[in-house]
Amino acid sequence: MSERLRRPRRACVLLVALALGLLAPGCAGGDSSGEESHGGAADLPGPVPAEVAFRAPPDDATPAPDFSANLVDGTPVTASELWDDRPVVLMFTASWCERCADVHRRVAEVVGEREGVALLGIVPADDAQGAREYAEELGLGYPIAVGDERVWLSFAVREPPTVVLVAPEGKVLRGWPGGVETPVLAERLDELFQKR
Amino acid sequence: MTRARPAAASLAGAALLGLAGCGGGGEDAVEARLRLVVPDNNIRVEGVECAGARPFDYLRPGASFTLEAPDGTVLADGELPAGRAENADPSIDWNVERIPTVCVMELELDLPERRSYRLRLPEGRPLAFDRSDLAGDEPLMLLVQ
Repeated sequence: MSERLRRPRRACVLLVALALGLLAPGCAGGDSSGEESHGGAADLPGPVPAEVAFRAPPDDATPAPDFSANLVDGTPVTASELWDDRPVVLMFTASWCERCADVHRRVAEVVGEREGVALLGIVPADDAQGAREYAEELGLGYPIAVGDERVWLSFAVREPPTVVLVAPEGKVLRGWPGGVETPVLAERLDELFQKR
Repeated sequence: MTRARPAAASLAGAALLGLAGCGGGGEDAVEARLRLVVPDNNIRVEGVECAGARPFDYLRPGASFTLEAPDGTVLADGELPAGRAENADPSIDWNVERIPTVCVMELELDLPERRSYRLRLPEGRPLAFDRSDLAGDEPLMLLVQ
């Protein structure tokens, strides 16, 4: 039985504030660690490697609704720039969703094994603070954006976890409400690679 | 399942602990076991953890609720737990893994004795029930509206 009380969270905030207060005098105004936050700009993918080529999406695939959002560190990101020349896996998730982290981890493993594929986590707009903690805890090395309601509605996402596969050029290939089995996602992604 | 705390404890926290037993207590506690049914009819695998799907997405783990007396006095408050997906229509054998479901959240509360209560959620109408509704062996089902 899990007990959810607000007090521990407040206590945690107080402890963090206290710790920051104690550390602040020693920082002397400098950038303390230089560490980038997880899920932010540092986790955006680089260019698609030259040796990787993807197939064109099927003509009858549904165009993916483009959207812009900020990553957890405030960096703006535009979805169509990500999926212009590569497959993108959208992982609709939330910090309060207990099984989302596990799904997110498994999706990240599959994506990580396939060069050139991007993964973008999307949390609800009212979960921005939780999203930063979620990104830190997961530390996946992939960006996480805070998506407003329009983003969720445009992909018909009713509940996290939901995984959506977008082909290069921005065509929706498949959505998996509730998550996706690793081999299934792997197979769908492998179909997108141009054989050489 | 989650167990809510009495409202006074949430307001005054540890400061009240030292006063326990001093303050004219003695009220009988009523154990309330509630099944909060979110009729979102979302397609899920039966038994998986869930939150309310749209348009009930405000019913999620960590969302606040209060239990009130009819006059609005807050008797207890807490945060919703994760729910479990249950078949939305048990009379149908869907024959597939992913089926229409409702999300059911279980609450266990110790309440002071009152004739009736209201469960107030972050949105929507409060859900009212009587003390006598809690008498049975089974948890009381409350359908979110």
